[in-house]
Amino acid sequence: MLPMRPELLKGHLDALLLAVLEPGPQHGYAVIEALRTGSDGALDLPTGTVYPALHRLERAGLIASDWHTVGGRRRRAYHLTPAGHAALGEQRAVWDQFSTAVTALLARRPWPSTA
Amino acid sequence: MAEHRIAGTTDTQPDAALAAYLSELTARLRGPRRRRAAILTELRDGLGHAAEDRIAAGLPPERAAAAAIAQFGTPQAVAESFSGELAIAYARRTIACFIATGPLVGVWWLLLLHPSPWRTGLIALVAAIPVVPLILIAVAAAGATLATTGRLMRWLPETNPRRALTGTTAIAALCLIGDLTMITIYLLSGMPARPLAAVAIAASLTRIASSITTMRHATGMRHP
Repeated sequence: MLPMRPELLKGHLDALLLAVLEPGPQHGYAVIEALRTGSDGALDLPTGTVYPALHRLERAGLIASDWHTVGGRRRRAYHLTPAGHAALGEQRAVWDQFSTAVTALLARRPWPSTA
Repeated sequence: MAEHRIAGTTDTQPDAALAAYLSELTARLRGPRRRRAAILTELRDGLGHAAEDRIAAGLPPERAAAAAIAQFGTPQAVAESFSGELAIAYARRTIACFIATGPLVGVWWLLLLHPSPWRTGLIALVAAIPVVPLILIAVAAAGATLATTGRLMRWLPETNPRRALTGTTAIAALCLIGDLTMITIYLLSGMPARPLAAVAIAASLTRIASSITTMRHATGMRHP
């Protein structure tokens, strides 16, 4: 499967990050890995895209973070806030509508010519 | 650096490669010190994780560290990707500082130049302290920038880093103009020298220095 360019995800990255964090807290690198494995390698996003996007979501109050020490290393784990859960629900509904509409158009095949 | 050594290795070469990478990144990040430190700590952990995953997959430590570094990108690219968040952090912290310290400067001028007791209202206040409209504009700009870069951006149009820095520069410039105006008005008024005036002028001079520094930093972050 071809990896997707980050610019194709513009507008959807927030929802993807919220969805990855929905099951439970994850640190930044684990989020990158979850995006990659959860999409069969299609969403192999660079570090420079994911970490700043997580910081922006935290600034917006959709996720929060806690620092822990694991194996001698300081680790920052992110989790969804109640506002983040609500935003994820809204963005899922928007995506359902959007993807249904786009699929309806892109999946349309021209009728075979009868001439 | 022992606590940052890649788990399962005793070789210090991979640690040295990661340390060199983080050191170069440290030199390229610009913004509030604590925020930069947090980013570096987070990336150090992520790099360690990435290297450990590759060691678990069978790569030797040196190649694992090199692959982890390649995955994270060049220090320049990573620094550029964080520049927006660091600029917003700088803008929010600086604006909060101006809001918090504003009354500490204004109160001395208010005590020194307050309108006569029998003259009340905004017009009397503006006549006594002509920079009041500037203060109101600065407070409005500060509130708008904070609101559209923080939690309220879920409902309001989000301010991008460049505009946040422009807003910060504008607020600092308004403070600079306000302080210079107040000092000039006092010096030209011919009022007798009073200790209160010395305190007010000292407070304004301190903020002038701070405003100039802010304008310099904000401009530097906009045009690195």
